[in-house]
Amino acid sequence: MVRLSAVVTTGFALGLVLAAGAAFAQTGKVTVVTSFSKDVTGPLKKAFEKAVPGAILEVQNRNTNAGVKFLEETKANNQVDLFWASAPDAFEVLKGKKLLSPYKPKATGIAEKVGSYPVNDKDGFYSGFAASGYGIMWNERYVKANKLPTPKEWQDLATAPYFDHVSISAPSRSGTTHLTIETILQGEGWDKGWRTTKEIAGNLRQVTDRSFGVPEAVNSGQVGYGIVIDFFAFSSQGAGFPVKFVYPSVTTLVPANVGIVANAPNKAGAEAFIEFLLSSAGQEALLEPTIRRLPVRPETYGKAPAGYPNPFKDKNLQGLLTFNAELSESRTAAVDTLFDQLITFQLEPLKAATKALHDVDAALANKDNAQARALAKEGHDLIAAMPISAAQAASPEIRAAFTGGKQKSARQAELEQQWSAFAKEKYSAAKAKADEALKLVR
Amino acid sequence: MALAGTRSAGQATLALAIALFLGVFLVVPVATVIYVAFTEKGGGALTLINFLDFARTDLFVRSFWNSVYVSAMTVVWASALALPLAYLTTRFEFRGAMLVQTLGFLPLVMPPFVGAVAMQLLFGRNGSVNLLLDGWFDFKIGFMEGLNGVIFLQAIHYFPFILVNLSAALRNIDRAMEEAAQNLGSHGLRLFRRIALPLALPGYIAGASLVFVKVFDDVATPLLLNVKEMLAPQAYLRITSIGIDDPMGYVISVVLIGVAVATMWASAQVLKGKDYATTQRGGGGLARRKLKPRESVLAYAVVILILALVLAPHVGLLLLSFATVWSFSPLPDGYTLAHYARVLDDSSVYIKNTLLYSSLAAAIDVAIGGAIAYLVLRTRLPGRQWLDWAASTALAVPGVVLGIGYLRAFYGVKLPDGTPLAALWIVIVLAIAIRRLPYALRAAYAALQQISVSLEEAAENLGATKARTVRRIVVPLMTGGLLAGFVTSFATAAVELSAVLMLVQSNFDAPLAYGLYVLMQTPAGRGAGAALGVIAVIIVAVCMGVAQLAADRSQRARGLDI
Amino acid sequence: MSKAVGIEIVGVNLSYGSTHVLKNVDLAVRPGEFFAFLGPSGCGKTTLLRLIAGFAQAQTGQVLLDGQDVAPLPPWKRDVGMVFQSYALWPHMTVAKNVAFGLEERRLPRAEINRRVAQALDLVGLADYAGRRPAQLSGGQQQRVAVARTIAIEPKVLLLDEPLSNLDARMRVSVRRELRALQQRLGLTTIFVTHDQEEANTICDRIAVMDAGIIRQVGTPMELYENPANLFVASFLGSANILDGHATGDAFEVVGGMRLPLPRGVVAPTGAKLVFRPQHASLTSSVASPLHGPVTHREFLGATVRYAIRVGDSEILVDAPFQSVGELRDVGDPVGVDLPPQRALYLAA
Repeated sequence: MVRLSAVVTTGFALGLVLAAGAAFAQTGKVTVVTSFSKDVTGPLKKAFEKAVPGAILEVQNRNTNAGVKFLEETKANNQVDLFWASAPDAFEVLKGKKLLSPYKPKATGIAEKVGSYPVNDKDGFYSGFAASGYGIMWNERYVKANKLPTPKEWQDLATAPYFDHVSISAPSRSGTTHLTIETILQGEGWDKGWRTTKEIAGNLRQVTDRSFGVPEAVNSGQVGYGIVIDFFAFSSQGAGFPVKFVYPSVTTLVPANVGIVANAPNKAGAEAFIEFLLSSAGQEALLEPTIRRLPVRPETYGKAPAGYPNPFKDKNLQGLLTFNAELSESRTAAVDTLFDQLITFQLEPLKAATKALHDVDAALANKDNAQARALAKEGHDLIAAMPISAAQAASPEIRAAFTGGKQKSARQAELEQQWSAFAKEKYSAAKAKADEALKLVR
Repeated sequence: MALAGTRSAGQATLALAIALFLGVFLVVPVATVIYVAFTEKGGGALTLINFLDFARTDLFVRSFWNSVYVSAMTVVWASALALPLAYLTTRFEFRGAMLVQTLGFLPLVMPPFVGAVAMQLLFGRNGSVNLLLDGWFDFKIGFMEGLNGVIFLQAIHYFPFILVNLSAALRNIDRAMEEAAQNLGSHGLRLFRRIALPLALPGYIAGASLVFVKVFDDVATPLLLNVKEMLAPQAYLRITSIGIDDPMGYVISVVLIGVAVATMWASAQVLKGKDYATTQRGGGGLARRKLKPRESVLAYAVVILILALVLAPHVGLLLLSFATVWSFSPLPDGYTLAHYARVLDDSSVYIKNTLLYSSLAAAIDVAIGGAIAYLVLRTRLPGRQWLDWAASTALAVPGVVLGIGYLRAFYGVKLPDGTPLAALWIVIVLAIAIRRLPYALRAAYAALQQISVSLEEAAENLGATKARTVRRIVVPLMTGGLLAGFVTSFATAAVELSAVLMLVQSNFDAPLAYGLYVLMQTPAGRGAGAALGVIAVIIVAVCMGVAQLAADRSQRARGLDI
Repeated sequence: MSKAVGIEIVGVNLSYGSTHVLKNVDLAVRPGEFFAFLGPSGCGKTTLLRLIAGFAQAQTGQVLLDGQDVAPLPPWKRDVGMVFQSYALWPHMTVAKNVAFGLEERRLPRAEINRRVAQALDLVGLADYAGRRPAQLSGGQQQRVAVARTIAIEPKVLLLDEPLSNLDARMRVSVRRELRALQQRLGLTTIFVTHDQEEANTICDRIAVMDAGIIRQVGTPMELYENPANLFVASFLGSANILDGHATGDAFEVVGGMRLPLPRGVVAPTGAKLVFRPQHASLTSSVASPLHGPVTHREFLGATVRYAIRVGDSEILVDAPFQSVGELRDVGDPVGVDLPPQRALYLAA
């Protein structure tokens, strides 16, 4: 009898503890895998733990790719509550692999759209909590020492003085850069968009494999100009580097997102975190100089210092188009691979052709020659040529090549080889035209 | 006969245990990841079509040859740097030898990310050297451009391997060989070239092939210099791309492993029967003579010049850790202690973890490497060579592949309380250990080769069992080599990042390299990252110094001055 | 061949740290001699050889080659050919390349080098082995290559450091004869270091017997055997009976009481012992001989029979020629030992 009551009491106590545990579940440990740096996670963690007493945010810092892989590999026994990163592409992948659980935030006062992008995933698997703008960053000392101009617009980067001084990260490695390129493609159309991209690319010094590689190179003075996300530039300035930043008149805003991982150990805690991020306190925290993100809550801008970019008021941040997320989705692998095969891995030939054409343009400025001009135009067209059309890029055949589906027209490796051979051929033909033109002018 | 039976039973058990270890912690995790290379994407059917695609892709073929070129040139340049120092320390009574010995291994300890940043700031297109050159003489040298930059960094990084190897090989030469040549009229450099170097060559090749493979498989350095058209970075970029399930990354991993095995096999073939050092009677090394004062000055100049070059990354690192802002100028704008202050709180956890992980990993490496060397060289077990090769492939497996493999293989395994096995820090230690095992193995192998079997047979003849013989005779005599293996494993384990990145799940378990990585994600973190890097280098240096001292003392106590 | 040269060692002292290895060594090797340094291990013979070659430096004294002091010359300038105990053949070169080495160092024209290599190999009987590698040769063949390598450069002097010690017994005999024949043919002054008295006796013209860094005696093998200068030389070369004792008046009293008359004019030095060879004494049945005692042991050696006899406290050996079984003494037989006075040596240590 005594034994039984002991058991019952223990069981009861245990039950109480468990229930209490459940009640405290939204507090306790909240684990987040994030690609954000300590500069961001530190203050937000402090603010979160202050806003939700008893909660402890456990931050696992991984770059986006590693984070996605990690969630994939650990799904059998998931210990992570949240995935917290910039661009939606990683979230799309996780969503596709059913590694996220949907959640509709209760917070109100959050905008539907910021710039061109919808703030939240339409299916509710991830939510946007901040945005950032893309722009051009440059190293003052470098620019001064080499007597280079100050950029204002994207097109500036394609002009001759900028040759071999620009840096960008590859869209395949940086989701935010991918969105920027995709915005250009959607804004200007497939062919013109690629032309613009390649014209800028012809001036590149390097294509980095991680987003931070660009501001890092500009900070050190290894490269003169970088196409970067604004907060990198501002935190660099904050750290004392001699760099400047400008938003071009057509600026791409890219969102930052958070999503709850499927089978999260502390779902309540995860939800609390998301709510915090979207709350006034959380949104205001984004204004801190070390974080410097753009809130998605329009009223927060009331608390921002003067001159702080406001996507809901500033013209250049409004976005000229409505971003077509589905279109972007349908051709994301193709765009990444096209950029890599046509630009990243053919950089030297592209640069050679571009340089030759710059020289022709310079020569033509002194002494015009119709034939040379025509040849130069042919050269530019050759560079701008694309191996596939927009329709093909979004087609099921091409998509299947990347996913391994049955409808594929060719294997991914074959496509890559085709495209890279295409580019090589076109660029050397362009250079030949340019050389010919140069001979005529000189 | 019964005795022989139990003897080989013991050996067989050891071999099986090691095979099991390698199987569980290397072969299986890696296989679960790279089997994709052999399947058709989306279909899953077994096929070799991916390898065909590899051969047909311009980019990959180009990358392959770039990798071969870079690896070979690295060996050449690292040897060029090591040769004068080896010559000076083995040929002369040279007090600078102490300097070379203590500082010469430092290049091995190069913290990830921040080492390359420091090098860019010193030698990059707009680094200190080039800014000065451009300012004074109007030209620049492309130290860090493209493939040359990779070769430059790698040569500096792996120069200690070659130095240690070359010195050891020279020291093993039978003195009579040299005296015979002197007797016949040869001396000085000519003798060194005609007699000493050829005799040292086989021993040197063993070390050089290791460097070749390591450079061939290195992901971090090329990427940090933005060189992507090499095989290992290509594998990494493809494996870590989001969303595209590309088998080519794994195909390249298989090629990397294949090249590693082929290189080790080829060097073993070349060395067969040519290991002159061990078949000679005398040893004793080359005779040493004193340096004349003028020669002494020249020698010191050469040593200081070379050391300055190979320690440049650390100098840059040091400067960076104290710099306020360093951008497009030969030297930082100003100096501060703020970065060290910043990392001081976090760093104690990182330091503790790093020491723990690295020592454990190095200990595991030495134990297993020594055991494999013993089994290969002293037993007749069938298939024992496979243990050697399997362990050596660890060099070629990209860290990210191993990390993913560990997650895949062990995350599903749960401990009684529900936490996944892979969440334990011991898994991090094992990943680090496996990746460093080849170094310890090669060091143990070389050490054991120098010991004559008759020394062990004498012990057995006097009644010692094989186990006791190993403990009382073999291990003490191998101490020098085992220590070298421990030291290399430890030094490189302390800065391991790629596998760690996949496996670390909380700051609490993180080593220094991880802390460094986190800091290097922001502009403001660069100085702090450098400070952490300097701390890492100092810790490793101190530990190595202590280990060396302890070993020296115990050796001297036993009268075995090595 | 170049003219044979003499070697002189004058007043040499050599120490390694606190160990005094060579003590006041004086020696003269005549031109064209086949000279041996003979002694037990550690006596300094190899050090002395290496001193001549230039691999050791003496603190005092001179080494003169053909009258010239070679101390200022480094080993590569001395032109003394040395054959090492381990042969020291370079494994990465063929036999021909090994032999050619010294000639290449002297920058001789290729045709001349080839000729002399062929000649040297021919001299040692290895003409067909030019293309082989050392690892493919037997010990004896390696040794011959080492010799060929040295004589190819036509050195002033040939130094051999225990060249036969790594060969089996049968080879030793034939190779030492070949070495002797070669040396005679070339007329080279040669120094041969060994611890084996048989080698020294059979092929050398003169021998320097060394012990603990000191030269105990120099002479022809016969001289050393017949007239050893001290106990060490007497017992090192051939077998010798040594009996403790002291001189009393005109006799030498052996410990145990037996007295041998000292011939007129013979003085036993202080501390001397009686030394004689087994074959110089003979056995008699008369116990009136000064030395007498029971036979303790008998060994039949074919032409001789060796008897061990207890004399006082010691045992001495006497070799008697074997004539017939009937004349054999038995163990236990009391015998007298007859020693002709001129065969009795009184030697100090």
